Amino acid sequence: MDESDISFFKDGLRLDGRRADQLRPIKIEVGVLARADGSCYIEMGGNKVIAAVYGPREVHPRHLQEITRAIVRYRYNMASFSVEERKRPGPDRRSHELSKVSREALEPVILTSFFPRSVIDVFVEVLQADAGTRTAGINAAAVALADAGIPMKSMISSCAAGKVEDTIVLDPMKEEDNFGQADLPIAMTPNGDITLMQMDGNLTPDEFHGAVEMAMKGARDIYELQRKALVDKYSKMVEKTGQEEVHACD
Amino acid sequence: MDRKVVVPGDLLSEDAKRSGEGTYVRNGSVYSLLYGLANFRDKINVIPLAGKYVPGPGDNVIGVVKDITFSNWIVDINSPYDGLLHISEFPKRIESDEMSKHLRIGSSIMTRVTDVDPTMKVELTLNDRKLGQIKAGQVIEISHTRVPRLIGKGGSMISMLKKEVNCNIFVGQNGRIWINGGAEDMDLALKTITLIEKEAHTNGLTDRVVDFLKMEKGARS
Amino acid sequence: MPVTNVISEIKKDFIYNHLLKGERVDGRTFDQYREISIERDVIRKAEGSALVKLGSSQVLVGVKMQPGEPFQDSPSRGVIITNAELVPLASPSFEPGPPNEMGIELARLVDRGVRESKAIDLEALCIVPGKQVWIVFIDVHILDDCGNILDAAALGAIAALMSTKVPASRFGLGEDYILPIRDIPIATTTIEFNDVLMLDPGVDEEAIANTRLTIITTANGNICGAQKSGTGMLKPEQVYRIIDIACEKAKEIREKFLEA
Repeated sequence: MDESDISFFKDGLRLDGRRADQLRPIKIEVGVLARADGSCYIEMGGNKVIAAVYGPREVHPRHLQEITRAIVRYRYNMASFSVEERKRPGPDRRSHELSKVSREALEPVILTSFFPRSVIDVFVEVLQADAGTRTAGINAAAVALADAGIPMKSMISSCAAGKVEDTIVLDPMKEEDNFGQADLPIAMTPNGDITLMQMDGNLTPDEFHGAVEMAMKGARDIYELQRKALVDKYSKMVEKTGQEEVHACD
Repeated sequence: MDRKVVVPGDLLSEDAKRSGEGTYVRNGSVYSLLYGLANFRDKINVIPLAGKYVPGPGDNVIGVVKDITFSNWIVDINSPYDGLLHISEFPKRIESDEMSKHLRIGSSIMTRVTDVDPTMKVELTLNDRKLGQIKAGQVIEISHTRVPRLIGKGGSMISMLKKEVNCNIFVGQNGRIWINGGAEDMDLALKTITLIEKEAHTNGLTDRVVDFLKMEKGARS
Repeated sequence: MPVTNVISEIKKDFIYNHLLKGERVDGRTFDQYREISIERDVIRKAEGSALVKLGSSQVLVGVKMQPGEPFQDSPSRGVIITNAELVPLASPSFEPGPPNEMGIELARLVDRGVRESKAIDLEALCIVPGKQVWIVFIDVHILDDCGNILDAAALGAIAALMSTKVPASRFGLGEDYILPIRDIPIATTTIEFNDVLMLDPGVDEEAIANTRLTIITTANGNICGAQKSGTGMLKPEQVYRIIDIACEKAKEIREKFLEA
């Protein structure tokens, strides 16, 4: 199939009914894993991604230790059943690259100097993939890091913009990603400091500019949702203890 | 007291002088470093809801011996960093070849951090009458972030607890707590500490703990 | 562990003090590229090859081609496979063994430039639809890492492809012919350190700066690839400035070395 065979817009809206600058529905849950020090489950459109943080903890093998700071490891992994055609289990070159840039998206805000000689492990499992798994993974990982009590200068939020039928669109879904003209994922602090930027496809410098602005707007909206998810977790904790108090007085 | 849930990067104050624990200053403003509860007093402190224990000099901790080298016991202290208990920090003079007779792998000890160097080499001691091997009672583990609540202002909570439940209690800053006493008393102490851990982030905790103890004791008698 | 070049505090200060004075340690201006030389057809056994020197950095790229099976989802298109080897001879910080994440990232960026610019007409590489297509192997061999080996590798790849002959006769598929190339992607890398942007970093500059942005442009001045790398941050304005620099510099390189 060629991009010219598909029409990405109907009555000015996208195939899934979104406007060009609209995010897919997002759901974020904090603290979903009992064993991990911090965890987060996220749904972004059809993506279902879970992130776990372990640490800071001892580094194995030991020679990886850094004397003055914690190292950060990030493992992006796709479940074999997460995509249409079964993915061979284990890391491939794509996941190695995504792990590297995702780690570099988060590391700038982590206070690694607080924990010399230790490691902070971030594990991201893509359970269901629908374009934008790396951005979903980073969003979940940032929340999981906060949940683990890791000191950070700020949160990190990630979102992509794409180009279909010469139009810049926010948060491309599968069809737009597969048959579109460009994909530009970014990650940033709420301040607008960019910590991840990748791009493939074809954009004029002006379009590039527009895509960055749009992705940043998306990331800002996602930040609000991440923040709310964390605050909500706390409120639930308070409610829960409130109930138990009533129970204890029976 | 003004308290608020915050996430990393939240602006807390525009007055850099108010920067307390769990915060940092950028361009003259104070921001949160952590996900937790911000307490707004003169200083703003952010108490995390989770996180690993990082040892500091003077901390009392409970550790478990995990290895023995020529002159050190390597001690797990519920932290990313192991503690080192040197043979000379044992309360009496012993020889290197009899180290495992006194503290074996798996032995639990009440110990104190004497020094932490910049590479996080953690040194421990047993040279204090309050410290030593744990041979009776039980050890429970709570999040180290709740320990300040368990101790209370100026030790108020823990001394009240010790008196009320009639137990010996040693609180490790690393979240490990030793309790020793009669079976029923230990059970009550355990229940109470669990309550404190769960509700550490709420107001009026001391009153509720007093009520809880009264009620539990009432049910017993 | 990420491979890093250990750099002494003294050297860091030295570079930094130069920056404060608006200078780079090797005397270049901030937006000045090092001298480039490209030598083609250096490996007779390869279908195409190029040795790129970028200052003292040296990268050799070889292209091999052979018939093979197409991917199921593109039955009538040729296949590109890009690999990079950061062999230990090129730097004290490279280690033998399977490619680490740095090598993988480099290979994937070289690949991204060639693929996304549509430089190779993949449809023209179909032999029997669904059965047999040409596979283009682009192998990057880093020989001497004196900084910015990525740009050198990307440049070597397109230069090698432009000198590639399809070895049809060797496989009984007719006469050899020149591999048709439709675009000339150029990658340029800029690093950021204390708000200073420096094009084409040398190895010491790479060691002090922890943020870089690579922009790959096509012949018509569009952008076909980008990648921020490293553990720092960039302001959007810095990104746009880097794009301006990249577009301008890529045009120069393209005109001077590849469109002759």
